[in-house]
Amino acid sequence: MTKPLVVFKNVQKLFGDFVAVKAINLEIHEGEFLAIMGPSGCGKTTTLRMLAGLEEPSTGKIYMNDQVMNKVKPHERDTPLVWQSLALFPFLTVIENVEFGLKMRGIDKSERKRRALEWLEKLDIIDFSERDISTLSGGQKQRVALARSLVLEPKILLLDEPLSALDAHLVIRMQAVLVQLQRELGITFVYVTHSQSEAFAMADRVVIMGNGEISQVGTPKDIYRSPQNKFVAEFVGRNNILSGTVFSLTNLGAHIETASGTFSVNLKTNKLVKGQKASFVISADLVHLSRSNPEAQNSVHCKLISEEFVGSMVTLFLEDNSNQEFKVQMQERELSKFDLKPDSDIWLSWSAQSAHLLDVS
Amino acid sequence: MPIKKSRKIDIYAMTWRLPIIIWQLLFFVGPVIFMIAMSFFLVKNYRMMEAFEFINWSKMFSKNYFWDSYFYTITIASISTILAMVLAFPASFALAFKASEQMRRWAIFLLIIPFFTSYLVRTFSWFVILSEKGVVNALLGYIGLGPFTMLNTNFGTLVGYLTLTLPLVVILQTVTMANIDRTLIEAARNLGCKPLSTIWKVIIPLSKTGLIVAAIFCFILSFGDFVAPFYLGGSQEPTLPILILDTTKSGQQWPRAAVVAIVMMITLFSVAFIGIALAYRKKASK
Repeated sequence: MTKPLVVFKNVQKLFGDFVAVKAINLEIHEGEFLAIMGPSGCGKTTTLRMLAGLEEPSTGKIYMNDQVMNKVKPHERDTPLVWQSLALFPFLTVIENVEFGLKMRGIDKSERKRRALEWLEKLDIIDFSERDISTLSGGQKQRVALARSLVLEPKILLLDEPLSALDAHLVIRMQAVLVQLQRELGITFVYVTHSQSEAFAMADRVVIMGNGEISQVGTPKDIYRSPQNKFVAEFVGRNNILSGTVFSLTNLGAHIETASGTFSVNLKTNKLVKGQKASFVISADLVHLSRSNPEAQNSVHCKLISEEFVGSMVTLFLEDNSNQEFKVQMQERELSKFDLKPDSDIWLSWSAQSAHLLDVS
Repeated sequence: MPIKKSRKIDIYAMTWRLPIIIWQLLFFVGPVIFMIAMSFFLVKNYRMMEAFEFINWSKMFSKNYFWDSYFYTITIASISTILAMVLAFPASFALAFKASEQMRRWAIFLLIIPFFTSYLVRTFSWFVILSEKGVVNALLGYIGLGPFTMLNTNFGTLVGYLTLTLPLVVILQTVTMANIDRTLIEAARNLGCKPLSTIWKVIIPLSKTGLIVAAIFCFILSFGDFVAPFYLGGSQEPTLPILILDTTKSGQQWPRAAVVAIVMMITLFSVAFIGIALAYRKKASK
């Protein structure tokens, strides 16, 4: 890995008594697509705003290319931001919006126009260059906002939930546009979102934030398969979280006793003591269904409560007799074999490798 | 059935609209029509006679003092407008962007207070401040300056106009700028705009409509004001409102005063119309 472009060192941000961001440490590498994800109020936008210089860290330091950025004013930075509201200037035309940043940098008129047109062309909105912003559709505005930032040829592009106002089908299309742009330009994207699907679909690495802290940093797969703690597991969703106490330990794994039964879990790095409280997760898509008792090590007898279709995927919501909720995710065509109805009896099972132990917190 | 329903709504709406329509007809449209008619009347032996003659119009338009007064009024009202807009801007800017929400509310409340008192009273209080032996000259005297003649000058007139217009202009500017989407200012900063440049590049374009409306108000109030040029300006160069007074006094020339009044109205209508058109002008979409 190359040396980091941006480093957050114990960066904390207070608004009065409220701690928006709690002493975070984070490295952002050159050319990566980093998503910062978390529920609203988790400090993700504040983190992004500090990177743009719109907020100054209360304590700690932010480095960019080894330089301390804390006191550098927003207009002296090269950190264009794509806003959630897009923040296009309504009194300027499309091309004037795109030229704005170049004009501020004192680039002459013909050069400005040339570069702006180049980007309008690249983002497929050249036909609208003389139009008023208010006459554009949501998707077109999105592209203008991107062009306005990218025309500055920055090393790093900041994006604050830019797709949240778009229709679902446009979101998918813009995701593809963003990923392609990022690969092509090779610049760093820092993408703030509350949407897991956006973050997982696009990012090389995902930062999960909660209550002003970083809960986990990792690839989408890491975060999905091995959430480090309960917060991440719950936030990522579609996880079965079971809590109990350590019943016995072997050199390969542990047996954990819960209200739903005793289950075996493989140990990776976690150190456990017998009798200690422990939680583990099983991703909903790693749980198997069977009509009869599978006689496997990790199995639970459940009743079907409800199901939810999302395209070809189905999520089943089930409950065992201790009222523990389970979720199972599978292909719709696989499910049809089982012929399930509400209140149907069914067995769930999973392998010990699929169960992932959470950090005690 | 839907026809009946819509008629019912019409009657309901009309009932509420009626008072204002009657009021406007009785006290605005009626008098204006009468004034237009009066501008064609004749005055003989100090008595007005119904007639339809263009003599009042041709007499007034051929007099230099009418045109002098007209251009003087436009000039000084324009200067007053520019001064008010410029003087109010820093205060409005601070109230809109630097003050807290609560402080802004208090400031707007305090700016409304001057309207509680009579404009005439406020004008007279300037005598104490601006006269030859007034407060300002006394203070300037301590540092060896003056005394300056401030009453009965253009300066006096402008002070009077601003007394009338400045609080209103500050209120209108403040409310307009306070409603700007702050994200747009941050976006400009993010794209490399220096803090002060955001005023020209973002804040003024975004508040254009409100600023033009404030300027129109200021111009209309100054252009039609009688009190400031009469008491503080000493009516040395008469503005059109003073000309109206003089014309009615000298030889009962009400018809000629009507001519002046109509010219004023047309001027103000044009200014307001052009101003509003500018304020709401949209770029032509291609």
